[in-house]
Amino acid sequence: MRAGASLDTLKVIAQMAFRNLFASRLKTIIVGVIILFGAFLVVLGTSMLDSVVQSMSRSVTGSVAGHIQIYSAKAKDDFAVMGSMTMGDPDIGQIDDFVKVHDTLIKLPNVKAIIPMGISGALVSPGNTIDTALEKLRNAIRKKQAGDTSPALAAEITSQQEHVRQILSVLAGDMKNLKTIAANALGQDELDNVTKASSDAFWNDFNKDPLDALEFLENKIAPLGSDADFLFLRYAGTDMDAFAKSFDRMKIVEGTNIPPGRRGFLFSKYVYEDQIKLKTARRLDLIKEGKEVKHNTIAKDEELQRLVRENAAQVREIVFQLDALKTRDFRSKLQKFLGSQENDVAALLSSFFRTDDANFSARYDFFYKELAPSLDLYRVRIGDTLTIKAFTRSGYVQSVNLPVFGTFEFTGLEKSGLAGGLNLMDLVSFRELYGFLTKDKQAEIQAMRTAMGAKDVKRENAESELFGSRTIEADATPGLAVPLRTADAPAGGEGIGNRLRREDLSKRVYDPAELESGVVLNAAVLLKDPSHIDEDIAKIQAAAKEAGLSLNAISWQKASGLVGQLVMLLKLVLFTAVLIIFIVALVIINNAMVMATLERVKEIGTLRAVGAQRRFITFMLIIESLVVGLVFGGLGAALGSAVILLMHSVGIPANSDIVQFFFSGPRLYPFLATSNLVLAFLIVALVSALSSFYPAWLAMRVTPRQAMQSEE
Amino acid sequence: MKTIVSVRNAVKNYSLGNVVVPALREVTMDIEEGDFLSIAGPSGSGKTTLLNLIGCVDVPTSGTVEVAGFDTTKLKERDLTSLRLNTIGFIFQSFNLVTVLTVMQNVELPLLLQQKLSAKDRRARVAALLERVGLRDYAKHRPNELSGGQRQRVAIARALVTRPQLVLADEPTANLDSVTGENILDLMKELNRTEKTTFIFSTHDARVMAHANAVVRLADGRLVDRVTPAEAIKAQAAPAVGAH
Repeated sequence: MRAGASLDTLKVIAQMAFRNLFASRLKTIIVGVIILFGAFLVVLGTSMLDSVVQSMSRSVTGSVAGHIQIYSAKAKDDFAVMGSMTMGDPDIGQIDDFVKVHDTLIKLPNVKAIIPMGISGALVSPGNTIDTALEKLRNAIRKKQAGDTSPALAAEITSQQEHVRQILSVLAGDMKNLKTIAANALGQDELDNVTKASSDAFWNDFNKDPLDALEFLENKIAPLGSDADFLFLRYAGTDMDAFAKSFDRMKIVEGTNIPPGRRGFLFSKYVYEDQIKLKTARRLDLIKEGKEVKHNTIAKDEELQRLVRENAAQVREIVFQLDALKTRDFRSKLQKFLGSQENDVAALLSSFFRTDDANFSARYDFFYKELAPSLDLYRVRIGDTLTIKAFTRSGYVQSVNLPVFGTFEFTGLEKSGLAGGLNLMDLVSFRELYGFLTKDKQAEIQAMRTAMGAKDVKRENAESELFGSRTIEADATPGLAVPLRTADAPAGGEGIGNRLRREDLSKRVYDPAELESGVVLNAAVLLKDPSHIDEDIAKIQAAAKEAGLSLNAISWQKASGLVGQLVMLLKLVLFTAVLIIFIVALVIINNAMVMATLERVKEIGTLRAVGAQRRFITFMLIIESLVVGLVFGGLGAALGSAVILLMHSVGIPANSDIVQFFFSGPRLYPFLATSNLVLAFLIVALVSALSSFYPAWLAMRVTPRQAMQSEE
Repeated sequence: MKTIVSVRNAVKNYSLGNVVVPALREVTMDIEEGDFLSIAGPSGSGKTTLLNLIGCVDVPTSGTVEVAGFDTTKLKERDLTSLRLNTIGFIFQSFNLVTVLTVMQNVELPLLLQQKLSAKDRRARVAALLERVGLRDYAKHRPNELSGGQRQRVAIARALVTRPQLVLADEPTANLDSVTGENILDLMKELNRTEKTTFIFSTHDARVMAHANAVVRLADGRLVDRVTPAEAIKAQAAPAVGAH
């Protein structure tokens, strides 16, 4: 038989193959089902994974990472845009001259944009409710001391004082309760301080030296407020203008973007809601979302029950915000709404927040319509100045005041903590917080030197004198969230550095050249065509090398750290599953084929005797395997495709924040790629070929003599 | 008459583990074209081994076997297969039809392997042969729908479809009742006469031997003699045969 078997021979072989398959139905079905399942899994798995990787890529590349991240080749640690598990920032070195990097790389044909960046984080204390109340009182008193004698201000001061006293009485009550529960839980000093601050005598003397009294309250009482907490804010310093233009998913939710050349801070909407919002309100939002989006019920879902419990138990944050007037207002509203005779506002609030599925919606609306307008829903409001204190690389504390211009989110990733964990600030502030000397800083140091000229600054003490945490911390305003207007009214006692910063910096408009020319930590590269990232990485590295820049370039997968690793893990799981099925399929199919071959020794021998060459036999067996592989593999692939297409039209809901990040939106619409079908086809073909290898070899060894051997 | 098969000092040993079992010892014989020869002998006498050597499904351990002018000991496996395909037809004791193919397809199979004839010619030849063996109406049937005799007729048609010079039949009637067996032999004989095809068949059945032109008798792997069927039957009937 010649290799180009005639059509008729092929037809007979095919017919024999088909009929043999049909004759041994059970074997065919067992083998077929395994192949079907394998092909189904390959198509489904790879399609899902590709879809997730692609949406993740949209999430990651469309938010902060870009397609490629570049950073200094001198980096000591691995770079991770999305953050690693450790709180500390990795040491990724620095790119000293971003302009040169930018100008070198932008010439590459596939590079669309290069956005300078630096990612770091700092603990920020937005102040607790007591701090905020005291801050308001202090501002009013400062105005009065500045000569404002209007009755409105006097009334405000009285109201603020009442508010503080209200808080103190709540605090005193708390402490008394605590004392009864655990006698040693509190120091006597603390108890004495609260008793002193709540006393009428203290408040009668308040106006004699209000600032002194305030200092006492700020230093001794405020720390007792249990809602004081530190926020760890991760932020990226970047060229805001380039960032907003390049990452088109970024959307300003409230306020405005940081104007070009200005200093400022943008909260991620997610952080703003999750961390800055009044906890009670945030929990109400979460319950509402759980009920309406995830279709859970308070009756059944433990998470929602926990939120309700916490809301009912933790009403202090609201009570602290209430001055006498608001307390009365809340009492009457809540009594009316609940039909209760209870006089204690805390108890009223507690029972108000103890919601169930039936009354939740009404209470949610009541809260936002009637109660929320009297409350500060966010600890930091748009327009406030946020003081960020960070440890610089060299270990001293650096503090920067930044106006909060607004909040932003990435379209489709609104609910994702992973994408929403990063806040934004201008590059100049970032450099300062990171410990690089900016021009401002240099000027400031010069000014400080001049101002402190009388003082003998020893060379070895210079650093602590100039940047020592003492100086800067003492200058910082106690309540860190300071309304912008205070920046306009510098009070006496402020350090010169602080004044410089307040007067000049938050208002100063920077030359874009300065934004670019300085040091950055890393930069995101956006590509025109992101389909061959590896090639572009190679090109970037080559171009950088040629220009004498020592740069590392990594893909977004690597840059996204843990997230990227999760994709690797998913791939590994899928690969393992496919491999196991592959091996199981190989063994079972091989077994079935060997059995079938042995059963057919006589038939094969006969064919050989009447003149069939060995390759005819091989060909016949291969066709058999191929038919099973193609038919069942095709069915499996079709089934997998059908499932993917179905999911493509319906979408897979993302039921958690992390999943939403992976899905790059609330639903994943998986797509079917030809490559996945080709892969499934190749795997099926490989399994079929490998599993028929041994039986075919057995069959080839069948001699025509075996046809003569009479059986039975 | 022309010699079609020439066996010279053919020895065939099989090894079973360490033991060498001689199946054929120094057999020498010639078979002429158009012969209708029976190879006779008791079980284990080497009938099948001799047929295998003549049928090119095996080669001798020593000695030579020439079939249609080819020394089989000098041919490669592939050429032996070609020789079987083009020169020899096989009829098996248990018919050995391909169960998944129809009667027609079974008969057509060697022609497809040959790839010499067009589809039309193939069909014509298969149809003629089926007519000849009396299975015209069974062309579309599957082997398992046929009786033993019918199956063997299909096998005969398959063996003859390539118009081979030589047809080998290993105990062709062993699995058939005597009447059917007679019919099969009649058919073979008729084809031998009309087609001038050489037939060699092994048997230990006296009634089958009776149809042959000559009987080659084997015992313990040796060629005993070449006799007429009548002599063979007579010898077999006599109790002293075994003592030869």
